[in-house]
Amino acid sequence: MEFAELIKTPRVDNVVLHRPFYPAVEGTLCLTGHHLILSSRQDNTEELWLLHSNIDAIDKRFVGPLGTIIIKCKDFRIIQLDIPGMEECLNIASSIEALSTLDSITLMYPFFYRPMFEVIEDGWHSFLPEQEFELYSSTISEWRLSYVNKEFSVCPSYPPAVIVPKAIDDDALRKVATFRHGGRFPVLSYYHKKNGMVIMRSGQPLTGTNGRRCKEDEKLINATLRAGKRGYIIDTRPLNIAQQARAKGGGFEQEAHYPQWRRIHKSIDRYHILQESLIKLVESCNDQTQNMDRWLSKLEASNWLTHIKEILTTACLAAQCLDREGASILIHGTEGTDSTLQVTSLAQIILEPRSRTIRGFEALIEREWLQAGHPFQQRCAQSAYCNSKQKWESPVFLLFLDCVWQILRQFPCSFEFNENFLIMLFEHAYASQFGTFLGNNESERCKLKLQQKTMSLWSWVNRPSELSKFTNPLFEANNLVIWPSVAPQSLQLWEDSEAYLLK
Amino acid sequence: MASAPTSKYNSHSLENESIKRTSRDGVNRDVGETLPRLPGEIRITDKEVIYICPFNGPIKGRVYITNYRLYLRSLETPIFAFLNEEKFNVDGWTVYNPVEEYRRQGLPNHHWRITFINKCYKLCDTYPALLVVPYRASDEDLRRVATFRSRNRIPVLSWIHPENKTVIVRCSQPLVGMSGKRNKEDERYLDVIRETNRQVNKLTIYDARPNVNAVANKATGGGYESDDVYHNAELFFLDIHNIHVMRESLKKVKDIVYPNVEESHWLSSLESTHWLEHIKLVLTGAIQVADRVSSGKSSVVVHCSDGWDRTAQLTSLAMLMLDSFYRSIEGFEILVQKEWISFGHKFASRIGHGDKNHADADRSPIFLQFIDCVWQMSKQFPTAFEFNERFLITILDHLYSCRFGTFLYNCESAREKQKVTERTVSLWSLINSNKDKFKNPFYTKEINRVLYPVASMRHLELWVNYYIRWNPRIKQQQPNPVEQRYMELLALRDEYIKRLDELQLANSAKLSDPSASPSSPSQMMPHVQTHF
Repeated sequence: MEFAELIKTPRVDNVVLHRPFYPAVEGTLCLTGHHLILSSRQDNTEELWLLHSNIDAIDKRFVGPLGTIIIKCKDFRIIQLDIPGMEECLNIASSIEALSTLDSITLMYPFFYRPMFEVIEDGWHSFLPEQEFELYSSTISEWRLSYVNKEFSVCPSYPPAVIVPKAIDDDALRKVATFRHGGRFPVLSYYHKKNGMVIMRSGQPLTGTNGRRCKEDEKLINATLRAGKRGYIIDTRPLNIAQQARAKGGGFEQEAHYPQWRRIHKSIDRYHILQESLIKLVESCNDQTQNMDRWLSKLEASNWLTHIKEILTTACLAAQCLDREGASILIHGTEGTDSTLQVTSLAQIILEPRSRTIRGFEALIEREWLQAGHPFQQRCAQSAYCNSKQKWESPVFLLFLDCVWQILRQFPCSFEFNENFLIMLFEHAYASQFGTFLGNNESERCKLKLQQKTMSLWSWVNRPSELSKFTNPLFEANNLVIWPSVAPQSLQLWEDSEAYLLK
Repeated sequence: MASAPTSKYNSHSLENESIKRTSRDGVNRDVGETLPRLPGEIRITDKEVIYICPFNGPIKGRVYITNYRLYLRSLETPIFAFLNEEKFNVDGWTVYNPVEEYRRQGLPNHHWRITFINKCYKLCDTYPALLVVPYRASDEDLRRVATFRSRNRIPVLSWIHPENKTVIVRCSQPLVGMSGKRNKEDERYLDVIRETNRQVNKLTIYDARPNVNAVANKATGGGYESDDVYHNAELFFLDIHNIHVMRESLKKVKDIVYPNVEESHWLSSLESTHWLEHIKLVLTGAIQVADRVSSGKSSVVVHCSDGWDRTAQLTSLAMLMLDSFYRSIEGFEILVQKEWISFGHKFASRIGHGDKNHADADRSPIFLQFIDCVWQMSKQFPTAFEFNERFLITILDHLYSCRFGTFLYNCESAREKQKVTERTVSLWSLINSNKDKFKNPFYTKEINRVLYPVASMRHLELWVNYYIRWNPRIKQQQPNPVEQRYMELLALRDEYIKRLDELQLANSAKLSDPSASPSSPSQMMPHVQTHF
């Protein structure tokens, strides 16, 4: 397929662009395969280069011969284009619609993007699992790197290399995989150097209604316990939801079979509920009516801050079990690809000073989100404006970044990066010239040959000229555990992520 | 009989004073023992009473009965500020000198003069002694205008724009009343103000009150400037509510944060206090004033009812937006000293220093609300203010503490009578002798930048660090690391400035040295600009 077929009108003159914070600009609108470009052909005026993949929804309006296209972006920005001529306007609108909803990943911009900068360090090799394990290996003798998933045959959403207890061989892992949702057997997520305790994550156990058990699974997680010590299993679902899951073959760890473990249920909402919350939030942010009296009630009704609170509370609980109680923990929800990752990664932000540095945070994203198989392609397919709501779309990653921002706000000196760094990650997760956030897991990324065909986000970010934009001047390495406050008055709306809306 | 004890009381309050001064060593005196008695005069009895003085109101005291006379001595303990013996190496009372401040603004000039008509507080007892009025208005005019303005608070200049010469003028409401009274002098006076700059042919009057309240005030003799009488003026209402509404709103804020923070419906409870909404209205009003002066190039008159609450909020916030000088530490002190303290914001009545009647209807957190607005601005412009959050909190703490004389009494005349500047220490002494603690390391001085904060509910926040600072759940883990880091950054900055100075010095020495290479590139830049 040629992009040219989709572009009915490649160029229109005398188009007026309205966007927040800038004066209106008149210029020439051009459509390319991946960008919508508006140029005034004058010096000193910034041009608009908008990736089609950043477009969430468009509206058309006509007043006489003047057409208006309102473009709602995935980064929440709203742009208005006034286009003279009805036909041109309709052509542009349908072209944008077609180009912003391409089915094939290989037609996405990252496959066409050629960097204009010199690559100093190839980001695809910056955070290899072997290197990450290397950081641990001096201190942890009870763990090993397993390549049981080399062909992605044991667990399609896991990377080829995972860290598991030394005492458990690959055959046992294969058996455990059949007992866990999506083959996601328990793997090491974080090793707490202070006391040798660990966070593991997995999918839910497939106990079903008849209480199936798996000796290898019990053996695997018991292998992480010291003699006479108890561990905690944090289920991110409330008990009743976990019970209902049994009917569909899922379930939770029975006390009888896991006597050394205490199970705690928390209630982090499922992804489609989070998506609804985001839609409500953005709706109230976009409410242009003058009467703002009800703003705080609307904000409250969106439940966004409640979700933040739940996620942070659960992460604090996990960190507390590890650091204060000196107990190992296993975290899972249903699939173990969403709320589980929010909790494991935030717990590391709280506990591990390295994850509060720029490189450490990148490593965390790579390890706990990309390698761990958070389905970015599905979750970030659309944002808050899209009408065709798909149930797999959800701002899980945005919520995680928001939680990090909340902690950053409470500990402004403890992070090497600033909020621009978080906003940049949010934007690239939804639309990017880089291949990093494409695909749903390592296996898909391998098939797409992203390493060969696209550029890594980290190759671009980790150059000194870019890094300087993301560095927090107040940073002072803080080797302590930082306990954020989750009281409602301590949590705030992350305005700058919504900066395009709020005025 | 009635007048005798009064005079006794009055004369003795001074005598008391001298005793206090000499007995600061803390020796517990029996007041009865120090009673000056005539030879042969014997004390018969004494009793604690409340004496309703026809001049000073109720006085708690002890009445002594001798075989010769009745003798009342006040039992009221003096406010601590009068006992405070702290010493600082700078004197905060010298911070504000009205003549200097007006000179900084370029006054007097062709159109405005400084008048001492209120030297003895005869024209208006709640105004400062020194006022700036239009050159073309005679003292006689001022006296006539005073009769038509509530509490004689005539329109006087607060601030003049350095370039377009538009002004912010403050006053109280005109005494229009139900019958719609007029006063030719007042009308002419406002016209004279308008004529001091000729860029716009209308004078803008901002009445801080909601329209209905302004109308209701007519019943009690007040009112507003109507268009059919003041032809060359446009009147706008700013919808800011009165002191009682603000007091009740803050009370509700207190209810949701103390003793327990309302957790389940935090945001809607916060909304129902309307506190942020009031903040929004005050800021919106001030933005309008600032915008009219700066962009609209029109002079502005601001008043509410008496011109000492909402008016002070509006003029001082607008001045803060317009004039970068007030965003420095000393500039802000001058702003508070000028627009609030000298122009008679009734601190004593609003705060109730040393008064146990907490339910008094005169109490209201108007000044706190102003500081909250300043804090909101400092959040939105983190580099525009020389001072930090601690500075604002310190001011508020001492608004109530009575450790310093700065916020005592209702107006300048009362302060003068009580010799506050001689007998107490100024809060600015504390602050200015340890300025580093109150400095914002991100401060970048920008002359002539007008700040327009966004007064939208979405951008206003509850000032958690002030209102909920005692709640252990928001307490930080370490002793405020930000403050620590700020201090380090400031030290770093000073070090860099010092290094820069040295380099410049070395460089200039090199330049004057004839042996230095004439093609040295540094010669191209004889003066390095610093951003600090």
